[in-house]
Amino acid sequence: MAHLTNPLATPSQLFALSTLNSPLPPDLQASIRYYTAHLTQASGLLLRLPQDITAQANVLLFRYWVVDPLMQWEFSDVSAAVLYTTAKISASPRSLRSITNVYAYLLSPHSQLSYMNEKKDEIAAPDPESYYLSEGEYITFRNRILNIEGQVLNALGFNTHVALPHPLAVTYLQTLDAFSTSKGKQVAKRTVEYLNTALLSPQMLYLTTQPNALATAAVYLAAREEGLKMPEVEWWEVFDVEREELGFLVVGMGSLEPFARKEVERWGVNKGMISREMVRSELEKLGLGNINGDGGKGLVEEEDEETQMARMLDEKVAAVET
Amino acid sequence: METPTHQTSPPGDYVAFARAHARAQNSFLGCSRITDYEILGKLGEGTFGEVHRAKSKKTGAIVALKKILMHNEKDGFPITALREIKLLKLLSHPNVLKLEEMAVEHHSKPADKRKRAIMYMVTPYMDHDLSGLLENPSITLTEAQIKCYMLQLLEGLRYLHDNHILHRDMKAANLLINNKGILQIADFGLARHYDEPVPVAGRGGGEARRDYTSLVVTRWYRPPELLLHLRKYTTAIDMWGVGCVFGEMLTGKPILAGDSDPNQLKIIFELVGTPTDESMPGWRSLPGAEGLKFPPHPPTIAQRFREAGSGAISLLNELLKLDWRKRVNAIDALKHPYFRNAPLPAKAGDLPVMEDSHELDRRKFRGQKAAPPPAPKGGTVGMGAGNWGGEPSTNGNAGFGNGDNYHRQPNGGRYPHGGHRNGVPLPPPQDERRRAWERHRDDRPDTRLPPRPPPAEYPAYDGPRDRPEGYRSRSRDLDRDRPPPRSRAGAPSVDTYIPSYGPDSGRRDERPPRDDRPSRERDDRPPRDDRHSRDRDDRPRRRDDRDERRHENRDRDRDRLDYDERSRSGRTRSRSRSPARERERDRVREREPLERTHDRDRDIYRR
Repeated sequence: MAHLTNPLATPSQLFALSTLNSPLPPDLQASIRYYTAHLTQASGLLLRLPQDITAQANVLLFRYWVVDPLMQWEFSDVSAAVLYTTAKISASPRSLRSITNVYAYLLSPHSQLSYMNEKKDEIAAPDPESYYLSEGEYITFRNRILNIEGQVLNALGFNTHVALPHPLAVTYLQTLDAFSTSKGKQVAKRTVEYLNTALLSPQMLYLTTQPNALATAAVYLAAREEGLKMPEVEWWEVFDVEREELGFLVVGMGSLEPFARKEVERWGVNKGMISREMVRSELEKLGLGNINGDGGKGLVEEEDEETQMARMLDEKVAAVET
Repeated sequence: METPTHQTSPPGDYVAFARAHARAQNSFLGCSRITDYEILGKLGEGTFGEVHRAKSKKTGAIVALKKILMHNEKDGFPITALREIKLLKLLSHPNVLKLEEMAVEHHSKPADKRKRAIMYMVTPYMDHDLSGLLENPSITLTEAQIKCYMLQLLEGLRYLHDNHILHRDMKAANLLINNKGILQIADFGLARHYDEPVPVAGRGGGEARRDYTSLVVTRWYRPPELLLHLRKYTTAIDMWGVGCVFGEMLTGKPILAGDSDPNQLKIIFELVGTPTDESMPGWRSLPGAEGLKFPPHPPTIAQRFREAGSGAISLLNELLKLDWRKRVNAIDALKHPYFRNAPLPAKAGDLPVMEDSHELDRRKFRGQKAAPPPAPKGGTVGMGAGNWGGEPSTNGNAGFGNGDNYHRQPNGGRYPHGGHRNGVPLPPPQDERRRAWERHRDDRPDTRLPPRPPPAEYPAYDGPRDRPEGYRSRSRDLDRDRPPPRSRAGAPSVDTYIPSYGPDSGRRDERPPRDDRPSRERDDRPPRDDRHSRDRDDRPRRRDDRDERRHENRDRDRDRLDYDERSRSGRTRSRSRSPARERERDRVREREPLERTHDRDRDIYRR
């Protein structure tokens, strides 16, 4: 049923990512996805959005970046646009002003996000002036969001439906009779944590596996961690997951912690979010040169370039299809 | 993205259908380009925007392209459109119009580069809508055909309800029919997710636990519980609409064409009897029933439909049951003996009506309403504007269009009050229209061939003014072409008849500015979008400047369209639509925000 499954990235799409984002090496691409999804998650919390909206936004964000290049727009703008659109079609819409305010705060140097990795008492008091958004700034931010919204919808072919594994996971736990034990609640909590963490995964787990597999893997990990006794048999087969897929997902979900630590080492403890500028200078450091040559693209060219990009994409798609 | 050729298969052949229509589930690709389609001609104009017939260059399939107008750019892509798209993408049933894909049109002129791209919804091309079909005097549906369409309609509705979707705009104009006899439910602009348990066999519509907005459904098809402002309504509201459509198929014209909400209630009660605690338990406690007094009236269904036979009357009674809890649901209606008794339902494939309906072809050739575009907003694809005069009306008093013909109608005497309530003149009497129809038919050169006109033929068919009145009137203008409701004759003023129909009349009076605006704006769908932003802003007064802006945007839109010059003239021509329907919409649009600020209902589709 369409409601329970997601469109997945095709192997050719995943393969094309390196040319699509050339010359970004895969690890930098992963950094961008990780930090941006992270930012979306933080914004979702501050906007008091239900987690399913935030999660859907992050899935849509990753889908968008399979179709369009990562460096096309500022990462935080894409995050804001995707979150705005997802909330808009949901039961909990958020105003553009709220969204821009939240992003302005999170991107300010002293936001909570920048200090996540430090001890609480070392956090400097936030400076309201650093995240005040004047009317003019608001309007430019808003226009950027609305422009990217159109790009995202176009790139996704207006397929905005995202099936999440969270409700499935709870159903699976019930099926496994997990809630009859004292550990049930804890396991369920841990399961959901795994599922939310998997949204940030550099393997783009939500684009490569169906919700039932994600749910099963999260249940598996959580049960193992909490010591919940599971059936002796290969119970995951009941949920249409094969051992191999489960194994891959378990490794994928488990690898996120070391990955996140590495990212913090690379970009610095005080960086809550990275920008295109930072990625460009990192590229130069790596000797890969400046990605766009001109750094900040003029606004006037953007449409042209984007049209051109879309055409190139179409040609690529046509080539793949034939 | 792949656009599979639309093949229609008989309803019931679900496996084959599913195979033919399997949506690309395994990947995501962007929209296609408008250049993937060859535009064949304009079909009409909806609240969303205009609709074109086109041919896919990839698959050769004939499709309808519905343009989504971007008026309210302040909030980005129109939210109602987004929701409709999201919903349609999740649906897949032979009797529900399919959204094939989205197509994008980029501006080719360098000067336009900064403007937004135009989005189109791509759906299969359907040849007729039921309303238009019934309006065609040369077509009489046989009982077997009616049964066939009813079965398809009920199948589609059962699917929707089973998937937790309330359509909320069930009416003949939203039922599209192609030449293979397939009926599809279209227009999900008012649809929403239904939070209650789905209907089960033998249990009617069940009960709703939460409130929904009662300002839905076009009036003629609006069930009594909605007219009485029940908020906790169920899938039964769509079933009432099915009943109205059924009656419309039996008689050839809408059976409950009320000209105001109180009048609608009155004629409903005249048909099915006044409510009692038995026939409609709890009706007294509904908000809209306060102070409502009707002289007891026995049901007249059996009498009015006696020619249709007892089976039809029995089904009609089930569908038009006052008690929404007991009103039949789609599952049970499909099992009604009516469909098992002779004459048996026709097979979709061998419906004769399509084969010999040259009248339709002729109309199609003339760029008339023959081909109702997919999912237009409730009869809002205003193709029939012929007799409305072509110039946009800039003084609001004329209501819709310049109303030339209206002024010629003796409506003043006939409709002392109601007719100008909203600045909207009431429909001309039907007999006039019929005469016009005949006259036109005689005068017209035979244009039966070819059935598919070359696009260039359209402009030749101009001069909306010299067209005999009534000619264009089809489903779009349905409301207008009604004979005056018979109840009106005895009740010159609804207001005196039902003195305190409190909230409704009050609200209407609060909105005089609405009628002062140029008629063109009434075609716009986006007010429904405004609603959302407005709700959030809690600043209802802003509406007016926004309307102004929308107006400008619309003008800008005009200039954008470069691939089809015709559309401009076409637009002025087809701009005006049925007043009653328009008024209907406006009322929904207008009132919804007021109501909705208080509830959570603006969050349609909780998914």
